[in-house]
Amino acid sequence: MKTQEQIQLINDTINKTKENLKSSAPNFIFWGALIAILSLIHYGFPDFIQKTRYSALIYWVAIPVIGMVLTVIYNIKTRKQTGYETHIGRALKIIWGVFNVAWILLVVISIFKNQNPVDSILFLLGVMLLITGLLIRFKPISFGGVAVIACSVLLVYNPEVNSLLINGIAAFLGLFLPGLALYYSKSNV
Amino acid sequence: MFSPLDKLLVNPTRLMIVAVLAKVENCDFNYLKQITETTQGNLSIQLKKLKESGYISIHKSFENNYPKTSCSITKTGIKAFEDHFSNLKNYQDLKL
Repeated sequence: MKTQEQIQLINDTINKTKENLKSSAPNFIFWGALIAILSLIHYGFPDFIQKTRYSALIYWVAIPVIGMVLTVIYNIKTRKQTGYETHIGRALKIIWGVFNVAWILLVVISIFKNQNPVDSILFLLGVMLLITGLLIRFKPISFGGVAVIACSVLLVYNPEVNSLLINGIAAFLGLFLPGLALYYSKSNV
Repeated sequence: MFSPLDKLLVNPTRLMIVAVLAKVENCDFNYLKQITETTQGNLSIQLKKLKESGYISIHKSFENNYPKTSCSITKTGIKAFEDHFSNLKNYQDLKL
């Protein structure tokens, strides 16, 4: 093979193996919609959700855990279909895996300390989104991360604001909208 | 002073395998077969040669009772690929 042909072959091969981050868009859309809906239902029907001492806890832990399982199944299937895992894909998997563990820990700690965990979870989520957006060079996700961090700061400095409403708005702005933007993105993200 | 090209990577199939693996964290056998457009037997031979040279590592496992082979590039492989690419560019520049 001539040198030019070899260089061309390397370029063609590398170009065929795309980053394919669009496949992660359904994760953002799903979680954005789920958290926003859960927040609005809780906001609209607080007596029903907080009927017993642990009903709100079950509501906010059981449903997201089911969501996590569904997300993991979806991502495993996507990985199998793609046939490869990129360096960025692996980094994102680790980042969001750590977030899931940290999220569960924050909820458990908040139970023992009898505190509302929403501001801490939103801050953590915002940081994760910002890292993700910067890593994949996709501005809507970075902006979403900033919006979620702003929501967490708002909750810290204005405790009288309804945390459920802010949680729903943050999920919509930080996850749902950037997820849609990623899904319909024409660029090769 | 030009270094000779890596004989192992002059082969198009092996070059494609290493180029793909340099871009990804790990890669399935079937994807490599699809990219290289070669037969299962030939791909197995080329992977074995790359593994013996320490350029790649091969992981075998089972998934739903079916054997699954995935590959990843080693540090030696990345260095060899980078050197090979750099040498190719040098030879090309010389011709221009």
